[in-house]
Amino acid sequence: MRRRRIVERAATWLVVLAALAFFLLPVIWIVLTSFKSQREVFSYPPVFLPEQIDFRHYSAALGGTGGKALKDSLVVASANTFLSLLVGVPTAYSLSRFRVGGQHLAFWILSIRMFPPVASAIPLFLLFRNWQLLDTYWALIIAYLTFNIPFVVWFVKGFFDDLPRDLEEAALVDGASRWKAFTGIALRLALPGVVTSALLAFVFSWNEFLLALFLTRSNVRTLPVALSNLVGGHEILWGQIGALTAIAILPVIVLALVFQRYVVRGLTFGAIKG
Amino acid sequence: MARANRREPVGGAGAAAAAAARVPRARHRRRLPLFAWLMVLPAVAVLLAVTVYPLVYSLRESFYRIELTFSPTPEWVGFKNYVDALTNDPRFWPAMGRSLYLVAFGVAIELTLGFGLAVVLNRLGRPRTLVTALLLVPVMIAPVAVAIEGVVIFNNSWGPLNYLLSKIGIDGPVWLGDRSVALNTILLADVWQWTPFVAIIMAAGLRTLPEEVYEAAAVDGAGRWRTFRTLTLPLLQPLIIVTVLIRAMDIFKTFDTIFVMTGGGPGSATETASFYTYLQGLRFFSFGYAAAISYIQLIIITVIATILVRRMRKGLG
Repeated sequence: MRRRRIVERAATWLVVLAALAFFLLPVIWIVLTSFKSQREVFSYPPVFLPEQIDFRHYSAALGGTGGKALKDSLVVASANTFLSLLVGVPTAYSLSRFRVGGQHLAFWILSIRMFPPVASAIPLFLLFRNWQLLDTYWALIIAYLTFNIPFVVWFVKGFFDDLPRDLEEAALVDGASRWKAFTGIALRLALPGVVTSALLAFVFSWNEFLLALFLTRSNVRTLPVALSNLVGGHEILWGQIGALTAIAILPVIVLALVFQRYVVRGLTFGAIKG
Repeated sequence: MARANRREPVGGAGAAAAAAARVPRARHRRRLPLFAWLMVLPAVAVLLAVTVYPLVYSLRESFYRIELTFSPTPEWVGFKNYVDALTNDPRFWPAMGRSLYLVAFGVAIELTLGFGLAVVLNRLGRPRTLVTALLLVPVMIAPVAVAIEGVVIFNNSWGPLNYLLSKIGIDGPVWLGDRSVALNTILLADVWQWTPFVAIIMAAGLRTLPEEVYEAAAVDGAGRWRTFRTLTLPLLQPLIIVTVLIRAMDIFKTFDTIFVMTGGGPGSATETASFYTYLQGLRFFSFGYAAAISYIQLIIITVIATILVRRMRKGLG
């Protein structure tokens, strides 16, 4: 019996380690690529560890188009996150406490999140062309609201739903205004949810590619677009591509590790409370 | 209204409690409609402006012929764009077929592998939290980064994957350059990125299942397969449908990996509906036509989602 349990445990760990290798090695490989010389990248059999670890590809990548791309990504993602929260969080509160518009409004907002971006990319392109917003920060900051407002509303609503109403109602009885009850009590208690929604909304903007490809060209170029340009270039500098990819994914990986409980909740629109 | 609720003839403590719970809600609705509406107003206005307005705008465009390259003045053509896409365009239906192929196989593979991984995850004790966090890495990183990993790893002359395969005596395929393989390579990239997501959801779902039911089943002598089919699957059905819904919508939208890894090629081997829309719109500048085919996709997606949501509501009700 005991022997069987040991075998079972060993089998479990074997599967887990195989899965971790399968899911993590490609990420590790691309990070290692960021330290390799062009010769090491193309060598066969492939070399796993680069000869020397230095950051020349990182400084080269950031000195080229990468630095501007990093800045563009930061500007777009921060501004979009701020706006998404600004209009999303009050909506979440209202939907949670007053059920404004019943289920219809809530589900309409959710359905927008399911939208295929190609379907909104063409119309946004045509509109922004008329408004002369193409290839500006605003094009992406506005376009990303289509997925981040619905996300913030649903995610934060779940946190408000979990809060007891008693405190706010007591404050109202004491003569506080509705607004005060919202900002002073509910918002403060739901702060972990609000912060997590901000981080995830930031990541969704940070990772977005299709709309950026449609709506920007040369003035604004976020990291995913810059990366795809590097891969499509004439001379492909794998070291720099690896470095820029690492810059694009490392912050996100840190977030995933630190906030894993909330990430699962966020990615399922609150269906799983982690 | 509160009084009417209290008088409901259904009776019992449960009904009374439900009625009591409804009282404060009814009072809020009467007293504070303005504040509640003001709170949602900005978001609703923004969403109307950035989603509904463009959609109406592009609905209009889809009835025009707009070719920025050679006939810049829009010309009204009625339903011609739609009819062309559905009956005349030799590239539209194959592209749609590839999208549906990715959706069908992607969802099936991710669900099967994810479920297996979930069972194993739940056997871990405390290390489960760490393993879950590590499994989230592929899920969270940008699809473009996944695609770049793909370009490197699937490279058939210097990539590490075919080298590893050759070590165990397998002559690896030309992952990205072979017409018969490339679409499956895209599929593999999606499976790599999203199987952990499905596994984590399923693991969380499995942990909520009531143990007593399983003990009873074991007492009745039900085997593993029978327990899985008659207990686990029905109990997890709502969660499975939500997962299928999220994944199906997402896979249908797949674009980034295709753009970077294959550019729709070789030939048109990986040209999906969303990639074809991109080509028509941003490469050929046929905006009217591109608007029409994005509408067709929207309708197909809505139909699929409605069917799934109906089933979900039935399952829950």
